[in-house]
Amino acid sequence: MSQRDLVAELRAAHVEAPPEVRERVRLVAAGAPAPPRRFTWRRSLVVLVPVAAAIAATIVFTRPAEHQQTALEFGRPPVTLAPNVGAATDRAAKAFAVPSPKNRVQTYDATLSLRVERAHDVSDGVKRALRITTSLGGYSQSVHAETHGSSAVADLKLRIPRSRIQKAMAELAQIGTITDENVSTVDQTALLNNTDREIARLQKQVAALRTQPRSDENDRRIAALVTRIERLQRGEATTRRNAHYATVSLHLETPPVIVAQHKHGPLHGVGVALTWLGIGVVYALAIGAPGAVLLVLLWLGIRVVRRRRENALLQI
Amino acid sequence: MTFQQAAEAHLDDVYGYLAWFTSDRFAAEDLTAVTFERALRLWHRFDPDRGSVRTWLCQVARTVALDHFRSERRRTRREELAAPPEAIDFRFAEGLSPDLEMALARLTAGEREVVALRVLLDLDAGAAARILGISATNCTTRLNRALKKLEEALHVAA
Repeated sequence: MSQRDLVAELRAAHVEAPPEVRERVRLVAAGAPAPPRRFTWRRSLVVLVPVAAAIAATIVFTRPAEHQQTALEFGRPPVTLAPNVGAATDRAAKAFAVPSPKNRVQTYDATLSLRVERAHDVSDGVKRALRITTSLGGYSQSVHAETHGSSAVADLKLRIPRSRIQKAMAELAQIGTITDENVSTVDQTALLNNTDREIARLQKQVAALRTQPRSDENDRRIAALVTRIERLQRGEATTRRNAHYATVSLHLETPPVIVAQHKHGPLHGVGVALTWLGIGVVYALAIGAPGAVLLVLLWLGIRVVRRRRENALLQI
Repeated sequence: MTFQQAAEAHLDDVYGYLAWFTSDRFAAEDLTAVTFERALRLWHRFDPDRGSVRTWLCQVARTVALDHFRSERRRTRREELAAPPEAIDFRFAEGLSPDLEMALARLTAGEREVVALRVLLDLDAGAAARILGISATNCTTRLNRALKKLEEALHVAA
């Protein structure tokens, strides 16, 4: 008999369960409860995975961007940035519009801090400030400028005629955006009046001494008084000269680099989440991989032993 | 499909598989009942996406049969000391020649099992391999060996 005939004969065989077995199985099956609704783990995953993804996406995308706000706070200048140069100029002119009566002598000190966009603008600003100063009849007392990569800073001390200070400040304010301004005036009129009175008093003493008969003692006193009068007159002249020029401290700088560093895109949160997820996966692999390998080896060993026992059992 | 429908449809398959596997009619009758009792308890675990009802019932039947073989082995070891086991006259199926019946009886339980699954129940190699817990290739190899053994036994008888 060929193998094909053998299989055909085996397939033609019919095995039927005896009636008593059929009856027993029917009794068993009759006790089966009504089929409940089946919620398998696969079906549950079909619902749970999209829901979990939606919740995660909502958390990531609706979380307030704290970093961005902090960065803006850092980058915000002390005085509101005014991109409109005309408005800034007007404000500067108003700030420096300190009344200066012509019959009074006052010393004038101003501080002006400006922000420019690039390091190159700082260099240009220094040149422009010096040009404005000389065009108005003033001069620069000191200039200091530094550049570090994309950031730069410059400090200038300018002496400008008091009568033209308002125009000077208005033009200097156009170099950049005002971040700080300060004006200080000190009235020197009373001091000069006292000096004048002192000089007059000393001159009267000199005149009185000159009416007296000449002597060595008298000549010495007259010389001392004249020296004192000359010293007072020089001091008075210095004060009037200083009051003729206003001192302007000009500070130019570029914005802090920190603003650029803290600007994050809309997907920054996703990037951070994925980074931490990657770190977690690496740690999990480093810690869990040896354990997983051991478990797999154990499972394979158990399987081999079971298979051998089963084969031995079926060799009957 | 309800459990009652599954039991009604595949009772003969399960009985035939167990009868050929054990080559013992009385044991097969008992094991068939035990198989359906166990299947009823496990019915909530059955997933139609992972295989047919017949395959799943045969897997349950195999577990029951293996438990039976283990307990039988322990029992016969004890009893062989007292008296040798009696030869049981068993017919595998209606319509088989006496020579083929004898050749089948000479196969091991493992060989009869694969013949029952692949030939009697006409399962494909994948389904039979899933029940046996081996690869499809291994299953086909086992079947070929069993059939060759049957063929040789029939030649000897002829």
